[in-house]
Amino acid sequence: MNVKKIAGSIAFYVGLIALWQLLYTASTDWFSWAKPYAIPHPSGVWKSITSLVSNGTLQTAIVNSMLRVLIGFLIACLIGIILGILIINSEYLARNLKPLILGVQTLPSICWVPFAILWFGLNQSAIIFVVVMGSAFGIALAVENGIKNVPPLYIKAAKTMGVSSKNLYLHVIFPAALPSFVAGLKQGWSFAWRALMSGEVMSNTVGLGYTLTLGRDLADINQVMTVMLVIILIGILIDKGIFTTLENHILRKRGLL
Amino acid sequence: MYLKLNSINKIFAETDKETLQDISLEIEKGEFICIVGPSGCGKSTLLNLVAGLDTPSSGEIILDGQAVTGPGADRVVMFQEAALYPWLNVMQNVMFGLAAAGHSKKEQQEIAERYLKLVQLWHYKDYPIHQISGGMKQRTALARALALDSKLLLMDEPFSALDKQTINILRAELEEIWEKTQKTILYVTHSVEEAIYFADRVIVMAENPGRIKEIIPIDLKRPRNIEDHEFTSLRKRILDQVQLSARKSVALEFDAQEEAK
Repeated sequence: MNVKKIAGSIAFYVGLIALWQLLYTASTDWFSWAKPYAIPHPSGVWKSITSLVSNGTLQTAIVNSMLRVLIGFLIACLIGIILGILIINSEYLARNLKPLILGVQTLPSICWVPFAILWFGLNQSAIIFVVVMGSAFGIALAVENGIKNVPPLYIKAAKTMGVSSKNLYLHVIFPAALPSFVAGLKQGWSFAWRALMSGEVMSNTVGLGYTLTLGRDLADINQVMTVMLVIILIGILIDKGIFTTLENHILRKRGLL
Repeated sequence: MYLKLNSINKIFAETDKETLQDISLEIEKGEFICIVGPSGCGKSTLLNLVAGLDTPSSGEIILDGQAVTGPGADRVVMFQEAALYPWLNVMQNVMFGLAAAGHSKKEQQEIAERYLKLVQLWHYKDYPIHQISGGMKQRTALARALALDSKLLLMDEPFSALDKQTINILRAELEEIWEKTQKTILYVTHSVEEAIYFADRVIVMAENPGRIKEIIPIDLKRPRNIEDHEFTSLRKRILDQVQLSARKSVALEFDAQEEAK
């Protein structure tokens, strides 16, 4: 059964690549709908991958980008958790600040790029700024929502057992809200990853976004495609490999899956 | 006097309805007190006030010489739903309150072991909460409450969500545990049968406004047999009281609606 499934997946992707090659050949060689330099093709992408890997460009770009997104994401988590807790503890902030956060959260992260460049210049910090702005507010809302949905009975029970308000957060509210927190972090991560690319494309510090822009500048559409594929792949790996695994582990432990 | 309720009134600001009116009650140490009454008579509200989860509009509650001002571990509550924490296993749930009370890890384990054995769940100590039955959940909650060795144990219809067979088993167990531990228990229930089975005294409440209608001492020999003649006649007498009051309040509500038309 499992072997069959894996074989099915392989067949799917081989088919997809074959279709891609067919479309490329059809649109450039057979009917001349498009210029060959404007359409990427599988063998060109493969060549691009091998050259980018052999001269180390891709590895450096990945490491740089990952480091940036990680720093940005951690700062965003810190800001998001603090904001979330502030909102949950103050009706005044919930009424006034929360709608603002909701609004800012819908702002595409690329809108922060002008500020980032003005304040930090064309460097690392500017990109991290964009990542933070792109993901912190979503995390804040997730934290607020997670805490708000903790069953009141859990809190009542803890209070009658003499749990202090500090320990209430540590031992009841946070563990109870953990599944929503992780779901929020997962979403925050995908915002951060997108924001990273918005920042990196605009900047000229080594990273995946920069490698992608470089491909455009060199009119190397295969390199652009290669970087896009890498971005997708890393996105999937982190989402499925880390967040979904963590989420499932927590839910299964509580009998919710 | 161990627990003293001094003319408690409770009016909820939201509805401006007088939920409890002039409730005065004195309870001795080691007494098992059951409160029955029609739904809406404020019996759960009264329990919440004693627990400190809510404050009375006027009047005072004094436990062992100290006024009740907020929730505390000297008045542990057992709720209708077990309120166990799903991220902890059975044993960890029982240890939960002990950690808050400042017991060392070793003490926590020893005390939890003692009470898990008392409720016959020692074998299930490592089970996650979602893998035990409803009855076992309530037994875990009971062990958790008993482990804190509170002055007063408050129980808010703890068995009402369980099936008949489980209820019968748990009743016998609770009765036995009470005999052993001599806890002072304030037990709210809608089941008159349960009240007579457990109580030294049954407090019958009426509604609109919620007040004490009658306090009935139960002198039947323990363990009580619910099929005894004395038991059934007593049950009939109390049931009539509760239903009379319930019927009156339904009629009142109906009249109010008619008048509104």
